[in-house]
Amino acid sequence: MEKIATICVYCGCGCGLFLHVEDGRIVGASPSPAHPVSRGRLCVKGWLAADFVHHPDRLKTPLVRKGGRMVRGSWDEALSLTARRLKEIMEESGPDALAVLTSAKGTNEENYLLAKLARVALKTNNVDHVARLCHAPSVAGLGFALGSGAMTNPIRSLLSADAILVTGSNTTEQHPLIAAHILEAQSRGATLIVADPRRTQMAQLADIHLAPRLGTDVAWTNGILNLIIDMGLVDEDFIIERTEGFTALKDLVVQYTPAAVERITGIPPGDLKKAAVAFGEADRAAVVYAMGTTQHSCGTDNVLALANLVLATGNVGRDGTGIYPLRGHQNVQGACDMGALPSVYPGYQKVEDPAARERMEAAWGTDLPADPGLTAVEMMEAAEEGRLKGIYISGENPMISYPDRDQVMRALSSLEFLTVADIFPTETTALADVVLPVASFAEKDGTFTSTERRVQRVRRAVSPPGEARPEVEVAADLLRRLGVEADYASPEEVMAEISSVTPSYGGISYQRLGISGLSWPCPSRDHPGTEILHQGSFPIGRARFSAVEQQELAEDLDYPLLLTTGRSLFHFHTGTMTRRTHLLDRERPKAAVDINPADAAALGVRSGTMVVVESVRGGIEIEARLTEEVPMGTVYIPFHFAEAPANQLTARTLDPTSKIPCLKRTPVRIRRADS
Amino acid sequence: MTCASAFILRREDLVPLLEELAETLEVVAPVQVEGEAAFATWRGEALALDDKNPLTSPMEFFLPQKEVLFRYVQYSGRYTFSEDPPRARLIFGMRPCDLRALKVIDGIFGADLPDIPYAGRRRSTIIVALNCTTPGEGCFCRSMGSGPGAEGGYDILLTDLGRGYLVEPGSSAGVYILRAHHRHFEEADPGDIKEKERLLALAGDEIVTRGPSLNPEKIREAIDGVDWEEAGRRCLACGGCSLVCPVCHCFSVLDQGVPDGERLRCRDTCILSGFSRMTGGANPRAALGERLRHWYLDKFVYIPEKTGLFGCVGCGRCTRVCLGEVDRWSLFKEAAE
Amino acid sequence: MKMDRSKMGTVAEGGTRTGRAAGVKPGSYLPIQAEVVDIDVESSNTYLLSLRPMDEEDELVAVNYSPGQFLMVSVFGLGECPISIASSPTREPLQICVREAGRITQGIMAARVGDVLGIRGPFGNGFPVGSMRGKNVLIAGGGSGFATLRSLINYIADDREKFKEVTVVYGARTPQDLYFTSEYGSWQAAKIEVGITVDMMDASWKGNVGLVTSLLAEIDPSPGAAALCGPPMMIRAVAKDLLGRGFIEPEIYISLERHMKCGVGKCEHCTMGRYHVCTDGPIFSYDVVGDLI
Ligand SMILES: Cc1cc2nc3c(=O)[nH]c(=O)nc-3n(C[C@H](O)[C@H](O)[C@H](O)COP(=O)(O)OP(=O)(O)OC[C@H]3O[C@@H](n4cnc5c(N)ncnc54)[C@H](O)[C@@H]3O)c2cc1C
Ligand code: SF4
Ligand code: SF4
Ligand code: SF4
Ligand code: FES
Repeated sequence: MEKIATICVYCGCGCGLFLHVEDGRIVGASPSPAHPVSRGRLCVKGWLAADFVHHPDRLKTPLVRKGGRMVRGSWDEALSLTARRLKEIMEESGPDALAVLTSAKGTNEENYLLAKLARVALKTNNVDHVARLCHAPSVAGLGFALGSGAMTNPIRSLLSADAILVTGSNTTEQHPLIAAHILEAQSRGATLIVADPRRTQMAQLADIHLAPRLGTDVAWTNGILNLIIDMGLVDEDFIIERTEGFTALKDLVVQYTPAAVERITGIPPGDLKKAAVAFGEADRAAVVYAMGTTQHSCGTDNVLALANLVLATGNVGRDGTGIYPLRGHQNVQGACDMGALPSVYPGYQKVEDPAARERMEAAWGTDLPADPGLTAVEMMEAAEEGRLKGIYISGENPMISYPDRDQVMRALSSLEFLTVADIFPTETTALADVVLPVASFAEKDGTFTSTERRVQRVRRAVSPPGEARPEVEVAADLLRRLGVEADYASPEEVMAEISSVTPSYGGISYQRLGISGLSWPCPSRDHPGTEILHQGSFPIGRARFSAVEQQELAEDLDYPLLLTTGRSLFHFHTGTMTRRTHLLDRERPKAAVDINPADAAALGVRSGTMVVVESVRGGIEIEARLTEEVPMGTVYIPFHFAEAPANQLTARTLDPTSKIPCLKRTPVRIRRADS
Repeated sequence: MTCASAFILRREDLVPLLEELAETLEVVAPVQVEGEAAFATWRGEALALDDKNPLTSPMEFFLPQKEVLFRYVQYSGRYTFSEDPPRARLIFGMRPCDLRALKVIDGIFGADLPDIPYAGRRRSTIIVALNCTTPGEGCFCRSMGSGPGAEGGYDILLTDLGRGYLVEPGSSAGVYILRAHHRHFEEADPGDIKEKERLLALAGDEIVTRGPSLNPEKIREAIDGVDWEEAGRRCLACGGCSLVCPVCHCFSVLDQGVPDGERLRCRDTCILSGFSRMTGGANPRAALGERLRHWYLDKFVYIPEKTGLFGCVGCGRCTRVCLGEVDRWSLFKEAAE
Repeated sequence: MKMDRSKMGTVAEGGTRTGRAAGVKPGSYLPIQAEVVDIDVESSNTYLLSLRPMDEEDELVAVNYSPGQFLMVSVFGLGECPISIASSPTREPLQICVREAGRITQGIMAARVGDVLGIRGPFGNGFPVGSMRGKNVLIAGGGSGFATLRSLINYIADDREKFKEVTVVYGARTPQDLYFTSEYGSWQAAKIEVGITVDMMDASWKGNVGLVTSLLAEIDPSPGAAALCGPPMMIRAVAKDLLGRGFIEPEIYISLERHMKCGVGKCEHCTMGRYHVCTDGPIFSYDVVGDLI
């Protein structure tokens, strides 16, 4: 038996684990005791991380559509067809008729090469990935406020916080190892404040639980800030020395009196005050947030409001403080870092910035398009309208994870050409012209960058099944077929190129990535990496306050309930892996809509009753589950289940700044299925 | 070699001895993986014998996290089955607590109707145990009577005396191995045995002074006093406590593949609600707190009734992996006070 | 179906811990193969399947069991689950009565005559028929739990003179959910009193409506041994009723259901306190499990 050290494939915590390998098969997994985040622990998904790897459903040979049917093809056939069709579309309709969707499940090396494929080979900036659906508002909001959209501090830093505000994050279920750190801090005396409409486990364990109405985050955040200013608990020195724009903010937040906040959010003034005191008085306070904050049509405002809070209290740049946007996928941070975004090159160098473009043109030895490309959701619109004609999708299942499933279906079906690379057949591969079988995390070498900016080594433990290949090889192969030089002998050589073009990865190489990896920015070979950002200064000089206001919330009498979506501890994303993991699937075998017992009584619904949940977009049939975890007026559906796709209901209403769709607040109505 | 019952293996002879053994057996030993000792097939790397006992117990070589029970192949409506034979293995450096765990499992998987895959592996494995002269921080084997010195259950027992290892055979297979490789051993003298006893007493004292000293009887009584609902609230349902425990042995069975495929057995945990839930939705242990309580009752009441041994060997691993800060031993201490 | 009658001989006595039928290697997880030889539809979601072991050396499995024992039934590719033996060891063929619940039960029901299923067992202790002999016997079933009781009823019917008064009470949700309706006549012919009731009646139903306990009030069975199987609610109510009639706790036998994976006391899924339902049960007397159900 061999024990291979690698990184968990699920959430952004980036836990280190060992895969136990015998005779070319993975027979177990266990936590890496010396890893800085896992420290010998894992969540249930981590313990079972490799369970799906040898599942018989794995895609093992390339498939090519012939006369309407998918038939086995060779790699050469599949790739030459892909290259030929992409080229033809480019020649007929121009480069912007093409797009690449990379994967947050892929390695940095894969994301880099695929983004390069879009820009260098296809000459388009139409490249994006799932981050659009998670943290685009963080990139936009924190980018504006602090100069970087990433988590400011390492996870470990939470252990020394005196107060921790968690909002829009079901941490115990989505980022269990971060929750473990928060709970550890709490047992050492830190005050835990949780703002969440649902009574999640985190909320139940909190010292103070605020339960705002859905979509009213700016109001209570401003309200807390107002109280903190009122009580004189702001960090004046910090504000004066390191920030700008405080006065305008101060003038605005006075309107957010506890009474006004209660009217908007439903939070009792006493609780708001308690939270303000705990956060304001703490020597070191931290804000932790996730998709419950960002997936709103006002997602960027929500992030800016939270940034105001940490800046006004001087909680940036020190151990135990900071703002922590929790990344969902294990490598969504890395995919962003690698420039798998329509507006930036690796390392967040803007495509519109001529100097950055010149640098990249020199490095890549070709001309590059100057205009930012389409975002993921815009791509779907463009495809539906026929402007976009060919897409290469890597390990993504937009049919389940994107809002407005019907539209995604129309969009993908109206494409002239679609190639999908994945490890399992999905609702999306079913629509493809070419399906490429690729290696899972346990079958390839590379790096992942966790939510705390830690770049870590992923190692091949077993061979891919059948003819499946690591996507880094596939991307290089495609690059060559499209006339771009790409002779990488190994992923390590790709990393060497990444570090040469990405300033924040400048000092990163495989030799240097030990047990703990390295946190970027790590600009040079002798740089130790940066665990805490913004210690002496901000990349933008002074940090910026923004006076953000609570938006009016539309109400619809026909759809009196508010639907929010999310994930369960036992599943990940669209469930292609977790639903093929015996113990995880058994734990949550089917979808259910969580309804407060009071709402359920009014609807005549019991636990187990089949109900129809409808929004203006459509309806789904699903089992009801009665629970006090959701407040009255709110219902909750996890989005992992293809047979009850929650995103059939959600709207594409986009946040104007970051273009994130609003997945967290959809007006719906519910009736019994038999009525 | 005479018929003496204890020998000395010089430090420098250890690797040559293992090399000889590895010619015919798969030798499993603790080696360094990413900064910590872990049991893996030994291929000549430096041994990590001075580290604390690895987080993953060598019990995984008897009850793997995942194994193929059999393969089925369908041919015109009928099936033929095939099973893999167990491998010949030598586990080097197994600690007394894990050895005790093996004895407990013998009382469960080896008793009544013996579990055939387990029994096969048991028969084909040679155990070279290592007495614990360097106990880990969370160890409380002494309280459970399972360490720091091993009492039987091994083929060969080693104790690190500094200048070399004291070697004591514990079975005919052990004697056979010592004979076959006699040139590495020299006879021990009575002083060596005394030295072993002194070191073990020292280790025992160390465990008692720094670790939690718990009386199993007290724990048994304390189970009723614990607020299980509260403990359940903090549990993050990672299942780690069961998956890491050398005595936990529950499993699930599943098929993969149609029409040909494999029937797999995988480690399971009673912490998950699906473990006891029935298809209709009824669950005899619906709340996390109830499931945690059952976990303890099994270890401290039911397993002892069945095997005469505690279902906990005091390795401290479950506290180490717990995500929810469900610090079980302080839980008991509080309840016991 | 051909089988050497002499092999059928005596019935295994209840109370054995685990069946050790010929052909099944004790402790092995390898099933034997059995062919589906007949399928009866008992209700819209319940089928009665007759099975015949395919290898001659496994034939004893089909007769060497006692009422109340169960099999682990495999559909290869879907898995294995516990199913009570619905036939009596005194009669051929071996039968199981399966109600659609999840994937595996659906798989079993999808089998057609001639298809092969895997079986392991028989497992569990079975009803203590030995100690029931010479006594009055009351058999009370609710819902799909009736399959295991049918085994006991037919066993008693084939050995009727050894038992005193025998009464069967059985309740289902609707008349369509009643199993083995064609056999009630033969039970009555064997001098077994049969009371049937449903929760919800329809136009065609002329029988009783209400709970099993209401039948008990009507029939007023004399104390003796009792065998119960059904939903926990019904079991609690019937047991309470019987205790009020002079039945004693150690003679009220209950067949329990738990999540099961191995059937041989190893996997721990079926634990109920200190008991393994698969090996210590599934039949328990009320004095042992009264406060656990
Ligand atoms: C002693 C005993 C006798 C039984 N006799 C019968 C019978 O005669 N007829 C009949 O139709 N049903 C019987 N059942 C119930 C039957 O076992 C379950 O309905 C069946 O396991 C559901 O499996 P599934 O694959 O269809 O459902 P899934 O939901 O897919 O179940 C998956 C697995 O969970 C376990 N499981 C889930 N529910 C149960 C349960 N209620 N009992 C045991 N294991 C479970 C099994 O291991 C099963 O393989 C009996 C159960 C027990 C314990
Ligand atoms: S917390 Fe996240 S990274 Fe860690 S084991 Fe769980 S899913 Fe994997
Ligand atoms: S219960 Fe905990 S301490 Fe006891 S043997 Fe299991 S893992 Fe070790
Ligand atoms: S290790 Fe702790 S958190 Fe995990 S299941 Fe056990 S008690 Fe719960
Ligand atoms: S079914 Fe496995 S122990 Fe009972």
